[in-house]
Amino acid sequence: MHTVRLLPLVAWAIFWNPAFSSAVAPAAPASSLTILPGDFTLYGPACRQSLVVERRAQHDYVGQIAADEVSFQSGDEKIVRIENGMAIPVADGTTTITANHASGTATVNVKVVDMTKPFTWSFRNHVESVLLKSGCTTGPCHGAQSGKGGFKLSLRGYDPEGDFVALTRQARGRRITPTDPGRSLILTKPTGAVAHKGGLRFRVDSLEYKILADWIAAGTPAPKPDDARIERIQILPENVVLKKNESQQLIVLAHFSDGRVEDVTRWTLFTSANESAVQIDQTGLATTVGYGEGALTAWYLSKVTTSSITVPMATPAPAAAYKNSADRNFIDQLVMGKLMSLGIPPSPQSTDGEFIRRVYLDTLGILPTLDETKQFMADKAPNKRDLLIEAVLDRPEFVDYWSYKWSDLLLVNGDKLGFGNRDNANQALLWSYYSWVRNHVEADTPWDLLVRELMTASGSNLENGASNFYLLHQDPLDMAETTTVAFLGLNINCARCHNHPLEKWSNDQYYAMANLFSRVRVKQDAGGKSSVVYADVSGDLIQPLTGKPRPPTPLDGTPLALDDPKDRRVHLAAWLTSPTNPYFARSITNRVWANFFGRGLVEPVDDLRLTNPPSNPELLDAAAKYLVDQKFQLKSLMRQILQSAAYQRSSMPLAANELDDRFYSRYYPKRLMAEVLLDAASNITAQPTKFPGFPDGYRALQLPSSSAASYFLSTFGRPDRLVTCACERSDQPTMVQVLHITNGDTVNMKLSAKDNALGKALAAGKSDAEVLDQLFLHALSRLPTAAEKDRVVKELAAAQGYDKRKAWEDVYWSVLSSKEFLFNH
Amino acid sequence: MLRITGNGATRTCDGLSRRDFLQVGTLGAVGLSLADLARAETAAKKAGLKKPGNDKRSCIMIFNLGAPSQIDTWDMKPDAPSEIRGPFKPISTKVPEIQISEIFPQMAQHADKFSLVRSCYHTAAAVHDTGHQMMQTGRLFTGGINTPHAGCVTSYLMGRRTDLPAHVIIPEPMGRTGGNLPHGQDAGFLGKAHDPFALMADPSKPNFKVPDLLPPADLGEARLDRRRRLRSVVDDTVKNFEATADAQLLDAGFESAFRLMTSVQAREAFDLSKETTKTRERYGMNRFGQSCLLARRLIEAGVRFVTINTFITVFDEITWDIHGSKPFTSIEGMRDIVAPAYDQGYSALLEDLTQRGLLDDTMVCNLAEFGRTPRINPAGGRDHWPQCWTVKFAGGGVQGGRVVGRSDQIGGVPAERPIDPGEIVATIYKSLGFDLETHLPGPQGRPFALVDFGKREIHELF
Repeated sequence: MHTVRLLPLVAWAIFWNPAFSSAVAPAAPASSLTILPGDFTLYGPACRQSLVVERRAQHDYVGQIAADEVSFQSGDEKIVRIENGMAIPVADGTTTITANHASGTATVNVKVVDMTKPFTWSFRNHVESVLLKSGCTTGPCHGAQSGKGGFKLSLRGYDPEGDFVALTRQARGRRITPTDPGRSLILTKPTGAVAHKGGLRFRVDSLEYKILADWIAAGTPAPKPDDARIERIQILPENVVLKKNESQQLIVLAHFSDGRVEDVTRWTLFTSANESAVQIDQTGLATTVGYGEGALTAWYLSKVTTSSITVPMATPAPAAAYKNSADRNFIDQLVMGKLMSLGIPPSPQSTDGEFIRRVYLDTLGILPTLDETKQFMADKAPNKRDLLIEAVLDRPEFVDYWSYKWSDLLLVNGDKLGFGNRDNANQALLWSYYSWVRNHVEADTPWDLLVRELMTASGSNLENGASNFYLLHQDPLDMAETTTVAFLGLNINCARCHNHPLEKWSNDQYYAMANLFSRVRVKQDAGGKSSVVYADVSGDLIQPLTGKPRPPTPLDGTPLALDDPKDRRVHLAAWLTSPTNPYFARSITNRVWANFFGRGLVEPVDDLRLTNPPSNPELLDAAAKYLVDQKFQLKSLMRQILQSAAYQRSSMPLAANELDDRFYSRYYPKRLMAEVLLDAASNITAQPTKFPGFPDGYRALQLPSSSAASYFLSTFGRPDRLVTCACERSDQPTMVQVLHITNGDTVNMKLSAKDNALGKALAAGKSDAEVLDQLFLHALSRLPTAAEKDRVVKELAAAQGYDKRKAWEDVYWSVLSSKEFLFNH
Repeated sequence: MLRITGNGATRTCDGLSRRDFLQVGTLGAVGLSLADLARAETAAKKAGLKKPGNDKRSCIMIFNLGAPSQIDTWDMKPDAPSEIRGPFKPISTKVPEIQISEIFPQMAQHADKFSLVRSCYHTAAAVHDTGHQMMQTGRLFTGGINTPHAGCVTSYLMGRRTDLPAHVIIPEPMGRTGGNLPHGQDAGFLGKAHDPFALMADPSKPNFKVPDLLPPADLGEARLDRRRRLRSVVDDTVKNFEATADAQLLDAGFESAFRLMTSVQAREAFDLSKETTKTRERYGMNRFGQSCLLARRLIEAGVRFVTINTFITVFDEITWDIHGSKPFTSIEGMRDIVAPAYDQGYSALLEDLTQRGLLDDTMVCNLAEFGRTPRINPAGGRDHWPQCWTVKFAGGGVQGGRVVGRSDQIGGVPAERPIDPGEIVATIYKSLGFDLETHLPGPQGRPFALVDFGKREIHELF
């Protein structure tokens, strides 16, 4: 059970305004100490400002002076006084506040105004804040779609007008007792005086209680159209460098449309994007628990902002540790910059064997042949890795692999297109859609062109494969959601029912976006074998909340007139694929990046929301910009990635970078995707897998649909291609997979087949050592170590006659089930 | 760091971060071996942390795929016109107030053990798949959100009880039923780690064995040992991989697979030859009968949740899907093949569970995706009808011999106490001891209520 955490009354204040500088923290004084937030103004008697004394070294904030080591001194106690590190106004006027610490002093200017003006709490800005921070308007409570206990508030208070009605008018007004505020249900319930399913939310002597009680006593003033509106929020310090096990109190400032700036730390929801580095509690106190970088998110009145805390390694790697890593391109510069700022040393370069295996698997989805590996290892050319990269990018298997990848994204699914006809091999619509994808990969079509063609696809879905996209998604909501996830990395489906709680997308924007698809029509051909997709000139999607259609608008793009007869999708596609659309380039860049590095700059790869910041924002921006400059030629981006020293690092961790899992100090091993793994097992044993209906020798990666029956593939996490989501594919190892490798027939049958690779090698009279070398080199791209050879040869020697072959099969099995084989590393 | 509370402690009114769940969901990621986990569990027990449910309770969900006709089975309308009442007559049961169809003579003798809910309905499209989703997860899938099967929720909240998986599907997951939609039979947004273990075999086959559970015949213990030795040779060389979460997860996978393979208890639980011929025959020597017997063995051995699919598909198989025309089933097909096997298997299961004292802690629920049209169609069959049908509950705290809800004179709509799939699944959760206010980690980290707001168990059953 959760019980409410009572916030200590240390870190709060209501009004704040930097009287002299703007919202930015002040320039560093001569002293190395600074008082955050800098110069400020206090508005009226209810106003407070928390003070944090921060140390600076050069340009960085480097940590907070513990509150009990500082003494604050007001320049004039008659104007402002200090209590527990909190500035409290006394009377109008200006003065200073000085912080004294053993290491120095710091001073800020303070202005106090409005002490004689009458004051009431605002419903829009204060009452809603109390309701959110106390948990009332959250999803599990009254913010749920159906409310709780018959009482419904808008999720996170996005609809103050509606909440006002719910509080004051609904249920015959029983929630408020104007004549005796303390008897109001909205006070007796959360304080536990009356039974409350949600438990105790705040106490009678709390500020929360006081704000609600004062607001009722003032006659429950309604939210007014001319209320000051929140414009943005800001975290101080925005960036700070700390050591492990240090704490930092954050201050959150809210900027309002009337120019006021309030300290809203107390009302802010905090989250940490990387809890292994930084944790944060709901008072805004961040604590570093590990090394690395932690992005912190603050949420207040539907505004979101982030700050970051950097925790360099306790003993940063010496400068020499970075010297050996090549500086090949912008990727290396930005990765190395991050690593140096964190004191994480990069792993050395991978071996040639590791590199050729890695490039093949990541780019082509196949293992290099024995000869290719040997040749590459023997090659003495200094630029042999670059040559290999060029050769790989040009191979026909490139088309198989990337067609498969994009078919995952575009949901090429024979079951759906075949209306239940499972004969994938003879599924005309499936082949039409798949061939469209494949032809574009083969032609190296720029990503923006491909997406534009898909978005505006019309005509027979037999002749124009792209139009099958509209067959798979038959309603405008579905089309809008799929489009934004697939090409922008944005999940807008929350906004289907209410404003997105973590993003800026509103219900209005959602329906404006979906209305772009409301004129897409699908007509079945006579005979019912195919359909024609076309854009109608009339028809609109109704927004349920208002009962009216929204002018069709691509998210934050420009609207089309409702009566504009042209194909709305053309307007959408232009906005979507524009080089100035920041989401489009970043989304595809992140997908390509994740394919090679095993971890996207943003994870999950299709969740590019503001509250889920990239591990290296400058790098994502630079890579996206590079792709735009290269006119969306994906191969150009791939080339940069493959050539970078960051990609070519060893996967073996150093003691000092073992914990890093997001800054690319080494290559992160990843389990082979299901199809690649099956093909690799077939390849090593020279026993192709047979897929019903497809010609012999067809590899799993060449299948047009994800619905070809295969127990192996579905067990190893092949996506169903039903919903566009990176979560559909799973590369997570599970027990069932292990059981299948160990006891199942896929691997065991390949091993026991008489004429498999093993059988041929033994029949050719090769020595044990030769066969073993060959197996290791082919499967793992390395030769066995002396210790491995020694122990394997012993096992083989112990086996006689018929068992000899079985012992060899067991050796093969041990390689095919090893982590080194199952992972790309 | 392991937070045991993340693994299922009930929480209300608190935004639960995705990370809380990830910490437990990917134990391997934080470097925990099974032994560590066991230690942490013991520590948690000492610290007085409670499991979120009743550890003694289990559930067998029998899913009558195809959907039986309510009027021809457990909600007969003998006074209705012949085109409605159909060809069968009602018979008396052990409970004076309950009459059921003559095609279930053995069930009639056990009517004191189960209770009927005759007013179940749903409002989604009348295709099998939607009903499967709703009856197994409590919800219709919308907006790309795949809600988890009740058994997977059990696996998430309670974990495994023994070496055996927490949730097993017998004989295999549902296949095609025409709608091309997901069936709601996996862990959905809870992640693959909580997917059920699917048997993938027919337990009535003479050479029945669970695929992949045991090594192939030619792989004796000596070879298994050799393989394990050899594998450790290769794996030791890259020990450093263990810095990666997925590599650790793979190791954990090898460990739990090995536990399952080598656990005598687990192996025997799947071994029907341990049963006497008499017992096996009592259940019926067919797929459904032996599935029921296997379910009982698994529950006895510690599995928390067993889902039995009476059929896998509605095409070209004699099922409950009595449209009356090919490739579906006729009323006679149901009478001659489906009903006898069902009558025998189900009554044997109730009898056996009672005799072994297991019924009190094992809920047996018999669900279906919808009912069938009150009026017989021109082909002599009945079509899909989600407006009203009958489901059954027994054991796990449910009192037998009761009837909840009532349909109208033709079995067309609920006349009293309409009950929807959310309430059905809530009833299962209640029996397993879960707090219905619990929240699960939903998509994108948002808390997802165990059941939709306002859904309560069918309290009349308990």
